[in-house]
Amino acid sequence: MSTTSAPDKLRWVGKPVPRVDAVGKVTGATKYMGDLTFPGMLWGRVLRAAHPHALIKSIDTSKAEKVPGVVRVLTHKDVKGLNGYGIAVPDQPVLCHDKVRYMGDAVALVIAETREEAAAALDKIEVVYEPLPVVDDPERAMLPDSPLVHEGGNIHLHTHIERGDVEAGFAASAVIVENTYRLPRQMHAFLEPEQGVGVSDGNGGVTVYCGAQHPYRDQMQISRALGIKPSRIRVVASPVGGAFGGKDEITLQILLAMGALATGRPVKIVLSREESVVAGWKRHPMVIHMRTGAAADGRILAHQVRLVSDTGAYASLGGPVTNLALEGCTGVYRMENILMDGYCVYTNNGVAGAFRGFGQLQANYAMEHQMDLLAEALGMDPVAIRRVNALRGGDVNPLGHTMVENVGALSVLDAAERCDLWARRHELEAEPPSEPWKRRAVGLAVEMQGTGLGVGLPDYGAAKIDLVRGPDGRPRWRVGLSCPEIGQGNSTTYAQMAAEGLECDVGDVEVYVGDTSAGPDSGSCTASRSVYTGGNAIFHAATAMRELLRKKAPAVLGCTEEEAAQAELSEIARAAVAKGITLSADGAFIWPESKYKLQGVFGLPHIINTYIAHVALVEVDVLTGQVEVLRSFAAIDCGKVVNPQGVQGQSEGGMVMGMGYALMEDTLIQGGHTLTKNFSTYIIPTSLDAPLMETVTCESFEPTGPWGAKGVGEAVMVPIAPAIALAIRRATGALMDHAPSTSERVFTKGGVRLGG
Amino acid sequence: MEATRVRITVNGVEHVRLVPSTMTLLEFLREDLQLTGAKEGCGKGECGACTVLLDGEPVASCLVLAAQCSGRSVTTVEGLAPPEEGRLHHVQQAFIDHGAVQCGFCTPGMVMSAVALLEQNPLPTRDEIRVAISGNLCRCTGYQSIVEAIYDASRRSAKAERAEKAEQLSGEPR
Repeated sequence: MSTTSAPDKLRWVGKPVPRVDAVGKVTGATKYMGDLTFPGMLWGRVLRAAHPHALIKSIDTSKAEKVPGVVRVLTHKDVKGLNGYGIAVPDQPVLCHDKVRYMGDAVALVIAETREEAAAALDKIEVVYEPLPVVDDPERAMLPDSPLVHEGGNIHLHTHIERGDVEAGFAASAVIVENTYRLPRQMHAFLEPEQGVGVSDGNGGVTVYCGAQHPYRDQMQISRALGIKPSRIRVVASPVGGAFGGKDEITLQILLAMGALATGRPVKIVLSREESVVAGWKRHPMVIHMRTGAAADGRILAHQVRLVSDTGAYASLGGPVTNLALEGCTGVYRMENILMDGYCVYTNNGVAGAFRGFGQLQANYAMEHQMDLLAEALGMDPVAIRRVNALRGGDVNPLGHTMVENVGALSVLDAAERCDLWARRHELEAEPPSEPWKRRAVGLAVEMQGTGLGVGLPDYGAAKIDLVRGPDGRPRWRVGLSCPEIGQGNSTTYAQMAAEGLECDVGDVEVYVGDTSAGPDSGSCTASRSVYTGGNAIFHAATAMRELLRKKAPAVLGCTEEEAAQAELSEIARAAVAKGITLSADGAFIWPESKYKLQGVFGLPHIINTYIAHVALVEVDVLTGQVEVLRSFAAIDCGKVVNPQGVQGQSEGGMVMGMGYALMEDTLIQGGHTLTKNFSTYIIPTSLDAPLMETVTCESFEPTGPWGAKGVGEAVMVPIAPAIALAIRRATGALMDHAPSTSERVFTKGGVRLGG
Repeated sequence: MEATRVRITVNGVEHVRLVPSTMTLLEFLREDLQLTGAKEGCGKGECGACTVLLDGEPVASCLVLAAQCSGRSVTTVEGLAPPEEGRLHHVQQAFIDHGAVQCGFCTPGMVMSAVALLEQNPLPTRDEIRVAISGNLCRCTGYQSIVEAIYDASRRSAKAERAEKAEQLSGEPR
């Protein structure tokens, strides 16, 4: 990976510090939450719905309770608080009472001495259902005569955004392109299925060990459902074997707490892959209709969008995903005339929620196609049309926010234009393919990813730092904050930033993440926010700690104030711990918000953006439609790079995940039943599919970021998908308006011409 | 439930246990021996997270019954670099150096597939590495850093072997 950055005096930030959690992970010593075992531990199994949409007439657990080894069978009657959870709206029952809305709905929890006994008891629970018509088409679900998934109506959210005058813009346009894009239901496919252990303290309190993305919110949701104080609930959510948004919502936490409190013994639940696939969240399938008009010089004059998002049975984050998708539908471009409608709709098609990219992937796929189609219609170069329209610093963006923050659209576009793949694309496309019946082509796409939760959603982070005496008598710095380590490497970047702020060696920093007993609430590990937010909180905590140490220096060192002012911070810390003094400092940070508020639109606009351009070289087999991505390139502006290896890892993993979205991944649900329940039918990229990847960072300095950093975790998977699809178009002429571009679709799209 | 007496050597230590006939090797390792390095990602032999070596061959331990392993020898990720030795296996070290670890859930299985490959093919090409780990899914890294780590580990260990041989030769009486 190469970077473009000015030299600086930083000692740890920006340096290739090895991951602090790597040794435990390569040796197998790291304990994930499902690896934990406690004395007297019981096993829990969840009874899921037998129908995708049905009324529950009765639940009889008496036979199940008599199965040998069964300790308890819990139902909705045992949910003492609010029988509901959900990050935005708590509309999903912990255990269903009168109705089930998808096959993953939980109806009962069996707790037994062994897994086998729990499984045997599941079959003995008698639930009488009255099946209801299955709502599986979001367009039809919006019609007034549709059966209702929820009594309040099937449209969970309708967002309308209008600025300028689109009709005048279309009238003035030299060309108009109009298309409908269909985007798939991608699965997170984290390698660790949902699992964990609940442990009662015997005194009404409980500890829940369960890999997740926001332990304090989990604590709140458990508290609300159980009707016990948050202070009696400890949540340990880290480390996590992959999450990508799929462990942002409650998975098993409430059931684990209920099971432990009901039995007084530790209870472990481990979902099988199949159960995880059926019950867990997915990326929202969307249908996006776009009409875009441009002047002869390529400037976008009007842009109209209608977006329908299938959120499945419950809201979770369906509303915010829809809104961020609408924001993404404006791309990285200047637009004065927009008219956008987004609908988030309930169906019985599983559940959809947060997933890396958060609506922007769907939107970007559509928008970047529109850009290439406009360029084709106008005879323009794909980069040229993007450059004409790209947002610059100081612009008022399509949603009305004046972009006073760092804007990197042009810098990533320039880097992409200069990269080997794009600069030599005609040469690469003309090179003989690996077989005569294959064709090569290059595609390019660009994106900006809004980070943080957005306007109107409290977005904050706190961290604490303790100075303690280590076993060797030297100072140790304990840094605690709640954003869990979900694999992205935030615990390492936190250690680097803490060492920078505390003027100490990174090896003297211990980072504690994802545990409500070990650090204050720094919010969720979502929205590309954990480095920016957690880092800012650490920055402030470290500043407070430095001031505290400086104040105490004369007393600690036994010298004058003038002499103390000359002392190094490490010297003061050493003297302090030698005298048995321990110190604590806190830091907190609140996100900046746009001054511009969109009427009636929750969460928009976002103001801190990651900018990224992707270029892909594909080879299409015109006989079978099979597509291989040979090489890919990423240019990323994520502000200051804190850990180059970390950014490269995000970039490469993101490119391959985005490639999966473009070419192969879709969770198929038919009549409410999931057809692709394991990796034998839900195919994700393997080592044989991954392209040769290159990453370049276009470093910038975000003034509000910790040491200039922004987030990077989501954007890395976004424009690669349209870049691949647009390369397929260049190779075959086919418009891949229905993702993923499976062999069948590429073959039948008409782009395949024998001998053509 | 029917039980079988097994004698299985795991990481050099012999264990004699009574196990249910339906118990998989993965369950035996994780639950009976508390060796939780091998993970269950799919339970169907699709993801490779449970890869261990059975008599030196990589297997998906979720598809092998514990009872099938009687009299045989198993190596898990915990057996590659015993903590008392205080240093990592060169494949493990290369994974760290190349940033081939993110969430880490696939890592133990990935490392075991790499170790098995290098046992049979000490100097593999990158394409041979890609084939060897194609049964190990990773959702975080995009594989490139893993391929580089294994490639580097193979060259490092070849270099170390050459150095060792050279040392032996120079130490021999003339």
